[in-house]
Amino acid sequence: MVDTPTLTKKFQKELNAGIASLVLLSVLDKTRKPMYGYQIAKLLEEYSGDASFMKQGALYPVLHSLENGGLLESNVEPSVSGPPRRYYAITSEGRETLVVWQGVWKQMKSFVDKAIKGA
Amino acid sequence: MIKSIEEYLELLKTELQGSDAATVQDALSDAEEHLRAALATLKQDQPDVKEEAALSQIIDQYGSPSETASAYAEVERRTVPQLARENPKPQSVWGHFFGVYTDARAWGSVLYMLIAFVTGVFYFSWAVTGLATSISFALFIFGLPFALLFFLSVRGLALLEGRLVEGLLGVRMPRRPLFTQQNLKWFDRLKELTMDRHTWFSILYMFIQFILGTIYFTLFTTSLSLSLSFIAIPFIQELFGQGYIMNNDLRYYAPTWSYPLFVLGGISLWTIFMNLARGIGQLHGRMAKAMLVTD
Repeated sequence: MVDTPTLTKKFQKELNAGIASLVLLSVLDKTRKPMYGYQIAKLLEEYSGDASFMKQGALYPVLHSLENGGLLESNVEPSVSGPPRRYYAITSEGRETLVVWQGVWKQMKSFVDKAIKGA
Repeated sequence: MIKSIEEYLELLKTELQGSDAATVQDALSDAEEHLRAALATLKQDQPDVKEEAALSQIIDQYGSPSETASAYAEVERRTVPQLARENPKPQSVWGHFFGVYTDARAWGSVLYMLIAFVTGVFYFSWAVTGLATSISFALFIFGLPFALLFFLSVRGLALLEGRLVEGLLGVRMPRRPLFTQQNLKWFDRLKELTMDRHTWFSILYMFIQFILGTIYFTLFTTSLSLSLSFIAIPFIQELFGQGYIMNNDLRYYAPTWSYPLFVLGGISLWTIFMNLARGIGQLHGRMAKAMLVTD
């Protein structure tokens, strides 16, 4: 028996692995001002509507790795309520990389669409 | 059913057991920041919502402790600190010995040994001043808040030192400050910090860094000046007509055939130092991780 839900979950997770970086970079490029994790998660919630593609907790490690690669930078600022927040902003290298990645995504998308439609 | 943010963090910590201590620290502070922000927002929007119900809704979106833990483990597996990437192993002993020049970690260690002198002096003065004034101010009312400030500064410096160690020595260290309970009164915070092993280990590290920094700096300057002097002997004798040892009017000249030996000696000495530095860097990184990162 094929366990479709489990396989679908795994498929979704594998897709997310690469897409999350592209999405986070794009969001931080669009907003033009530093954002903290929860803000980003809220914004993505608006985009995705009812469908939830990934858990919010999974965004943070991706943010770390983007920062590690020099595509994002961050600084901690105290908040009125609760613990200090880490604000993320895109770097100029991040913008350059994003342009390349968007190109890759475009090609990828048309390739996958063609494969699905069988044009 | 998870009843509080603290409980979530405890569960997450358990799930992350076996992962890198620095990853655990990052994951905990990310989760704490997010959950508290989400809870505050939700309470603002719906003032009469029960905390437990709100939390379960938030955790549903954030991910269960096990889901979150696996997300960190996944990304951590893909990203290794810049310098920790293995250099291709050279085959021969000589290749390994001279290969040190292409090893970023060795250069990082050399730089770290130089910086450790400055940071060591600073840490030492900071720790001595902080401890001495905290103890003597304890007689007055403002003594305790002062001690709290000092302990907090130690935490900050430990994090900073961690960044330096990761950048130069390639040992993974925390990128986020240690998470602490938010709703504590300052006196309880002070008590918590005083009871925490981590605080005292960090202070001890600040003392040790002073001694090690001095040793590293001496090693560095001695090796560098001796190596350069050896290499310079042929040039000093041939170009400037000076002897390699000068004692008042007595000059000793090395024979021409020995020139290559001096140059070779100088280069080998520096190479030996570079190899030594690479080893010291790794040991120091391990020490820093043991003392500055809580488990």
